[in-house]
Amino acid sequence: MTDAPTTQADPGTSTGRVLVLLDGSRMSYAALRAAAEIAASTGAEVLGVFVEELNQLRSAGYGFAREVGASSGVSRPFDPAGVEQRMQRLADQARRALAGAVAPHGGRHSLSVARGHVIDEVLALAGPGDLLVLGRVGWSFGPGARLGSTAKGLVYRSPGKVLLWCEKHSLPQGRVVVFLNDHVDANSRAIQAAAEVSRRSNRPVTFLMGADSSVLSKDLKGVARDLGVQESELRVRSLPSTDPVTVAGILRQERAVQLVLSRDCALLQEPNAERLLVALNLPVTVTP
Amino acid sequence: MPLPAPLTENQVYHCCPEDKLDFITTEDLPDLERPYGQDRVLRALEFGAGIQAEGFNLFVLGPSGAGKHELVERFLSLHAARQPVPPDWCHVYNFQFSDRPNALKLPAGEGRQFKKDMNDLAEELRTAIPAAFESEEYQARLQELQEEMAKRQHQGLFEIQEEANRNNIAMITTPAGFTFAPMRKGEVIDPEEYKNFSDEEKQLVESKVEELQKKLQQTIQQIPRMRKEVRERVHALNEEMVQLTLGGPIGELREKWSHLPDIVDYLDAVREDVVEHAEAFQDSDNGPPVGLLARYKVNLLVDNAETVGAPVIYEDLPNHQHLAGQIEHRARQGNLYTDFTLIRGGSMHRASGGYLIIDARRVLTQPMAWESLKRILSSGEIRIESLERLYGLVSTVSLQPEPIPVSVKVVLLGDRMLYYLLSHYDPDFLDLFKVEADFEDDLDRNDGCYELYARMIATMARALKMRPLERSAVARLIEHASRLAADQRKLTAHDRVLRDILSEADHWAGQAGADTVEASHLQQAIDEREYRASRVRERSREQISRGVVMIATTGEEVAQVNGLSLLRLGASMFGQPTRITATARPGKGQVVDIEREAKLGGPIHSKAVMILSRFLASRYAGDGELSLSASLAFEQSYGGVEGDSASVAETCVLLSAISRVPLKQSFAVTGSMNQHGEVQAVGGVNEKIEGFFDVCKEAGDISGQGALLPASNVEHLMLRADVRQAIAEDRFRIYPVSDINEAIELLTGLEPGEPDSNGEFPENSFNRRVAERLEKFAEASKKRDENGETNNSGGKDRD
Repeated sequence: MTDAPTTQADPGTSTGRVLVLLDGSRMSYAALRAAAEIAASTGAEVLGVFVEELNQLRSAGYGFAREVGASSGVSRPFDPAGVEQRMQRLADQARRALAGAVAPHGGRHSLSVARGHVIDEVLALAGPGDLLVLGRVGWSFGPGARLGSTAKGLVYRSPGKVLLWCEKHSLPQGRVVVFLNDHVDANSRAIQAAAEVSRRSNRPVTFLMGADSSVLSKDLKGVARDLGVQESELRVRSLPSTDPVTVAGILRQERAVQLVLSRDCALLQEPNAERLLVALNLPVTVTP
Repeated sequence: MPLPAPLTENQVYHCCPEDKLDFITTEDLPDLERPYGQDRVLRALEFGAGIQAEGFNLFVLGPSGAGKHELVERFLSLHAARQPVPPDWCHVYNFQFSDRPNALKLPAGEGRQFKKDMNDLAEELRTAIPAAFESEEYQARLQELQEEMAKRQHQGLFEIQEEANRNNIAMITTPAGFTFAPMRKGEVIDPEEYKNFSDEEKQLVESKVEELQKKLQQTIQQIPRMRKEVRERVHALNEEMVQLTLGGPIGELREKWSHLPDIVDYLDAVREDVVEHAEAFQDSDNGPPVGLLARYKVNLLVDNAETVGAPVIYEDLPNHQHLAGQIEHRARQGNLYTDFTLIRGGSMHRASGGYLIIDARRVLTQPMAWESLKRILSSGEIRIESLERLYGLVSTVSLQPEPIPVSVKVVLLGDRMLYYLLSHYDPDFLDLFKVEADFEDDLDRNDGCYELYARMIATMARALKMRPLERSAVARLIEHASRLAADQRKLTAHDRVLRDILSEADHWAGQAGADTVEASHLQQAIDEREYRASRVRERSREQISRGVVMIATTGEEVAQVNGLSLLRLGASMFGQPTRITATARPGKGQVVDIEREAKLGGPIHSKAVMILSRFLASRYAGDGELSLSASLAFEQSYGGVEGDSASVAETCVLLSAISRVPLKQSFAVTGSMNQHGEVQAVGGVNEKIEGFFDVCKEAGDISGQGALLPASNVEHLMLRADVRQAIAEDRFRIYPVSDINEAIELLTGLEPGEPDSNGEFPENSFNRRVAERLEKFAEASKKRDENGETNNSGGKDRD
């Protein structure tokens, strides 16, 4: 089920859509605002995705099912009618929020409401050219959880770029930091993504090189130059280790406002990924 | 009785012998180190400034313009220079009770250093503590802590999830929490399918779900406690970091200020406070809140770094706030706000350990200032409280700073009347101001005084930065000082008047293009002052010369005499003649004072008339009854009469009225009289005589006119040059009289006559005429009384 677009698309201005995963959580609405801004700057269509979790619906069908409050620990009845109502309500909210977020920029938007498993439904909608924006956590294990299971699944399986959004105070002289490794293509994709962010947000870029990286920084600079990043706005730093605390420290020093990295890089390999994201509190773009 | 001889020119003026002045100009004279002639004040000041006992504050009393302030300040400055410099005082934040700032005492000059040290510390805190929080060490430890706590928090949930998974039960996250359902291959089993499960399987699943739900509930309910634990551990970590960061700078300060235990205690309190507020320092972008760092500031209330000796402070505006200090407020978004840095010290703070000079009249006219001053002196401590709060007018939150002990010697400057009124009406006054330093109004004029007085004038002239005075000018000023003192044997000590004359003389010397001030410039200054104040005097004389006010200066008249009155207008005064007339007829020994009856006479005048009345009775009625009904009036006087200086004139005019003997109108009379007819001294003789002289001059040539004055007033004469000239040429005569008979003889030309053993006065004497006329009055009265008794009309005087 997909709502009709509210405005006519201009196929020439964008290479792909911006998909934003909406589940009614606070973080998903923050991600929606970020997605709307990105779409406004690229002219892309915003496609909101609301998935009615099949597992939830099924759970509610059990007579003995109860819902235990995430904060209070109070057990409440959990029945199908209530869940249906709740989902309907959340979908309506998502629709209104989507329209509200995109309206100021005047872009195209639509909402896809599907019933099934979130990851499957999103993967079914997303193409290689699409940017998938989602909150780092949804209705996850409550406060303290830094990376939800959906986010984890999509980061590794999405055909295109994934932006894991989180609310962060904007630093006036913050930089976009790109983590690079030995994979030339992956690096190129990451630099391209960083260049886009840099252009969009008008921020300088820092390349973080792994200690054992054999890539020459002048080559990287060449790539960046080709992508329109000015050399004066570029800085290269080497990373002594991929220990999450070290990385987090360097990112703080660089006043990073966004981290860009390839999904294949060492930082995103378990168990480091979880620890790194615990240590950081900033949006992360993961390129294929 | 031989008549007194008229006074000579030398008797009416005490010239300053220039040979006593051994200099050419005042430049040749050294400054006076000690004020001349004020030994009593100086001894009192020395005593008052030196004595340590409580309540020995000083009240310096003397007329305004006597130079009290200059003298006291100069004396105390010299005295204080030999005394130790008092300590510095500052207010600091009270970390226990924020509305009661603490007071700290430091040795003189160290307050500034302490203030700087604390500013530096605050600056260091601003950068060092955020840096400590930025450090790798802190971040790593915080990370570990957070990870550990996050792990602990989620451990329970993960375990439940694991347990559920092991039992093929899914733990599903919902927007509001969690739910459990049986699953297969990671997916929740369709409830329809579940219906096909056997009862045993269902029971197994459901009991497991129930068990898991209970566990989940318990786990979730433990989360708040765990979070609290996290907060506590993070706080402990923060405290540890701050302690480590502060260790260096605070340690150095503790070492530096180890000689002052109060400062060390304060530094410890600062450390505890910073540790307690460690989180507030964490914001590396904006830095710690300004309000937090402001707590570590030092409000240096008393800074004696540059004080030499004990302080000597003159409080120009001694109101409550300026004396005791105040707590200022800042308006912030419409609210009044204050903190310990807005406490302002008063002059009592600054003068502590030294001297505070205050004008008594000013302190008494400021609301609450006198009470505050007394309270501070009684309690020995300054408690700063705003006037609004004292009056209960304002109820904004304010501070109660710790009282600061004070040891100050207050020197009040005021006129005598104020001192006597305070002594009488304020019961605390004499307890708090035990030392009375009374200024001399006049100085003795003798051969030894000239040099010192000249040096005093030289000192004044130099202080005024004026041209030097020539010897003749100094001599003229000394003579004028005698005139101001109204005494040939005194010189005025009135500082302001002398200074003013000197300044004016310097002005006239400047106008004349002279390099030095000469006697003529000084005379011009005196004359100009006289002229400026002469408008009323001239109008008054004009009335006399035009005959509007009737004064005769020639011829003889019965029952009419020229009295001399003194009019005081502001700082100047002048004398003028007043016609006094009398009537006499038989009656019951009654002398009616018309001035008193008309409520124009003061009590002293009334007393003088009563004395006169008793004098008449005792001299002329003897054992009999004084059958007289007389009246006395100051003609054309509309402004009231006071004093007894006309009693000689009143006696003469009354006796003239009784005896019908005319009095010479060419004389004016002044002097008071006692019941025995002795003439007593009066005031303002110079002005009175000069006043009559001027009236005579305007009436025509001076020729044979003169004045009668008490012999005891002769040494008060310092008459003008033109009067002296007329005396020298015998055109104007001044007779010193010591008895009423002398006045009678001078005014009537008749011998008064002394009574013989029977009390009878000699034939043809003036007194005989008086006595005879009174006898006639007595007879007339007796006759009337007899007629009155016959007619039952009583003995009343029908006048």
